[in-house]
Amino acid sequence: MGAEPAQLSTVASARASTWRRWLLRYEVLLLAVLIVEWLLFYHFGTTTNRRGVTVGFGTLDRQFDILRHSCEIGLLALALTPVILTGGIDLSVGSLLGLCAVVFGGLTHALGLPLPVAAVVTLLVGAAAGGVNAGLICQLRLPPLIVTLGTYSLFRGLAEAFTRGSVTYSDFPAGFLMLGQGRWAGLPVQAWIFLMVAVGVWIWVHRTFSGRAFRVIGFSPDGARYAGVGVRGQLTAAYVAAGLIAALAALVYTSRLGQAKADAGLGYELFAITAVVLGGTSIFGGRGTVTGTLLGVAAIAVLKNGLATLPVVMRMNAAEELAGLLTGALLLAALAAGKLAERWRRSPAG
Amino acid sequence: MAERPLLVFRQITKSFGAVRALRGVDLEVRAGEVHALLGENGAGKSTLIKVATGAHAPDSGTIHLAGERLERLDPALARRRGIACIYQQPALFPELSVAENLALRLEPTSAWRRVVWSERRRMAATLLSRIGADIDPEREVRTLSMPEQQLVEIASAMGAGARVVIMDEPTASLTRREQERLFGIVTALRREGVAVIYISHRLEEILTLADRVTVLRDGQTVACHARAEVDEAALIRLMVGREVDQLYPASESAPGAVRLELKGLCCRAAGGRPVSLRVRAGEVYGLAGLVGAGRTELARTIFGLTPADAGEVWIDGSRVSIGSPQAAIAQGVAYVPEDRRRHGVVLELPVGQNISLAAWRRIFPLGWLRGDRERSEAEHFVRALSIKTPDTDAAAANLSGGNQQKVALARWLATRPRVLVLDEPTQGVDVGAKSEIHRLVRRFAAEGMAVLLISSDLPEVLGMSDRIGVMRGGELVAELPQGATAMDVMSAALGQTPSEGAA
Ligand SMILES: Nc1ncnc2c1ncn2[C@@H]1O[C@H](COP(=O)(O)OP(=O)(O)OP(=O)(O)O)[C@@H](O)[C@H]1O
Ligand SMILES: [Mg+2]
Repeated sequence: MGAEPAQLSTVASARASTWRRWLLRYEVLLLAVLIVEWLLFYHFGTTTNRRGVTVGFGTLDRQFDILRHSCEIGLLALALTPVILTGGIDLSVGSLLGLCAVVFGGLTHALGLPLPVAAVVTLLVGAAAGGVNAGLICQLRLPPLIVTLGTYSLFRGLAEAFTRGSVTYSDFPAGFLMLGQGRWAGLPVQAWIFLMVAVGVWIWVHRTFSGRAFRVIGFSPDGARYAGVGVRGQLTAAYVAAGLIAALAALVYTSRLGQAKADAGLGYELFAITAVVLGGTSIFGGRGTVTGTLLGVAAIAVLKNGLATLPVVMRMNAAEELAGLLTGALLLAALAAGKLAERWRRSPAG
Repeated sequence: MAERPLLVFRQITKSFGAVRALRGVDLEVRAGEVHALLGENGAGKSTLIKVATGAHAPDSGTIHLAGERLERLDPALARRRGIACIYQQPALFPELSVAENLALRLEPTSAWRRVVWSERRRMAATLLSRIGADIDPEREVRTLSMPEQQLVEIASAMGAGARVVIMDEPTASLTRREQERLFGIVTALRREGVAVIYISHRLEEILTLADRVTVLRDGQTVACHARAEVDEAALIRLMVGREVDQLYPASESAPGAVRLELKGLCCRAAGGRPVSLRVRAGEVYGLAGLVGAGRTELARTIFGLTPADAGEVWIDGSRVSIGSPQAAIAQGVAYVPEDRRRHGVVLELPVGQNISLAAWRRIFPLGWLRGDRERSEAEHFVRALSIKTPDTDAAAANLSGGNQQKVALARWLATRPRVLVLDEPTQGVDVGAKSEIHRLVRRFAAEGMAVLLISSDLPEVLGMSDRIGVMRGGELVAELPQGATAMDVMSAALGQTPSEGAA
């Protein structure tokens, strides 16, 4: 009898500390940042024009726009999450997006292949390009940074060689343009694609042993080998999947803009890496979540698009520059806050 | 008490979250004594040491060195005050040479100092020869064996003019001979008036070496005795709080058919020599030899880490080819490696995930993670091996050394192997747990496993093995029956053929 209150209080404090642990989780912090960001833009970025129509951030069209614009970088960020979890990096995804876009354009226009066939071949090219990365990394034991820095130039160079730097493929049939410009069940079509890939990658990373293996390799490649984890196989899977998803992003991109050019996706890899890191994935490997990546993508996309709706920014005509600046600031602030939260979380509950 | 204590700990406490690692520890160490610190795995020995070296700040309590209170201790300050520590794992820079490592510790640091290489080499050579270590100062630390790295650590402690030298399980991976050399060094330190704090799970070492013994249990000091006042049984009782049956379990059944057979197996690429041996089901085959005798190399070849390029492996009468650890697991071969922190466990991963890592095919059908199955598997082993951990979600890094070793063992037992290769399976494991592991190994053998036991702990090899193979220079030089003596094994390992001509 006498012991009961004591027990109850330990249960209560255990529950309190669970709560506190949850609240101080990095993803929850990031979600809070995202919500605040969104509310701010909603408040300051929504205006009514002379004809009494609501314009700016608070419109459904603008929200869909944000979704459309963030899908490609979002796909690349999803592609990079497993790779970075293994302690690797893939700098070539943006260039690969460009290469796959012109490959697709070439297949449909120059060779006249039917669209579905061309799409499948493009996806295979992407996967094969990921295989090249994986092969160089696993067989030659070269650091992923060096390998993909090489293929970063190589893929872009190939894309430019294909098109001799000038050809732009356009005039895609309306059916294909649906993919990047149409809606399905109320949402932009590519949002559905993105969602499917996100769920797939989430399951892969968090629900299968393969995802576990990525972390183990990220923490300790030697430890993984001694535990009989197939390091080569897992790395190959991660890089091939990255290539495949980059090719998918290329299709979405081509469809959204209605044209395929060699400079497609220029610089996207850095945005994608920023999103992954902002999402809390450690660049050294081992730690990170797909949910974090999604939140990172969303935080950056809302920031970029939201800024462009602020009247002040529109007057200054400096949305791009400001977006870059604030993205950097957000990244550093979020990571610093994450570190602090980690410390509080670890400190004895009290 | 005639001598004034040099280093005094009073009521030190330290918690990690909910884990109370130290709950009021008292310890007094005098100059010129070897003071042994004893306790079960997780008793708090390493934590206490880390408090002394400034690696952990204590929650409360005081430390006095030569009457002066040490406050806000950090590793650099501790070193300046003359407290040096040789950790369970040497903490040298692997890519640098021995001389450079010593210089980093000992030379005054300033960015614009000129490096006098000849001076550096000379200093390193002097220090190394002072402790009688035969190591070329030019060698990269990477290429040194674990004991050699320890010698470098000791040399660095000497060079720093340490007044207190702490050794946390220095002999866990040493062989008899290296151990004797280390004892020589410890004795010399004592003569020079240095206080040595010596942690070990090998009681016979403590009984030969120590002047006084302090026993910790569950983060508290339970006793401090002069060497003359205690014997082995008394120490065990103080540590564990009960009697421990220290006898080696007898083999329970006659060995069955040949389970593992090596025919001239070797990996020439890794510098191996052909080895042939047979282990029967239910048999524990001990592999003895000096460090560098090629036992670990052989194990790595059997397990596919350095795949064999000559010779054959037969398991249960059929020839198998093992080109990778995955293939080894598929054939029912398990290998508990010697270096637990780098290879045996993944420190950042929770205990449960460490345990399920190698047996994932069985625990996670089709590769789907199953938290429930993982937890019950992990909890089973936590209980069976009495792994001391708050729960199976605690990171392996937070476990004490001996408990990490048990996790490494559990990982491979979970694969339910046919052939179990154990490389120093009880290094750093306390007496109670050690005899538990011995009993378990026996039980697994009795269930039909073939066990290849590599150990530098000679009594363990002698006590556990049904047969003993002795390796020297990468070759199997002798095979001794059960009942062989330490003398037989040592003379074979050293290459002195006994006059009777055994084997
Ligand atoms: N960084 C840490 N975080 C959480 N718990 C820890 C940490 N370091 C140690 N502990 C816990 O503190 C207790 C004491 O650990 P310590 O390493 O001091 O034991 P030990 O006596 O050295 O054991 P061993 O003989 O196995 O080396 C253990 O229960 C361990 O799990
Ligand atoms: Mg310890």
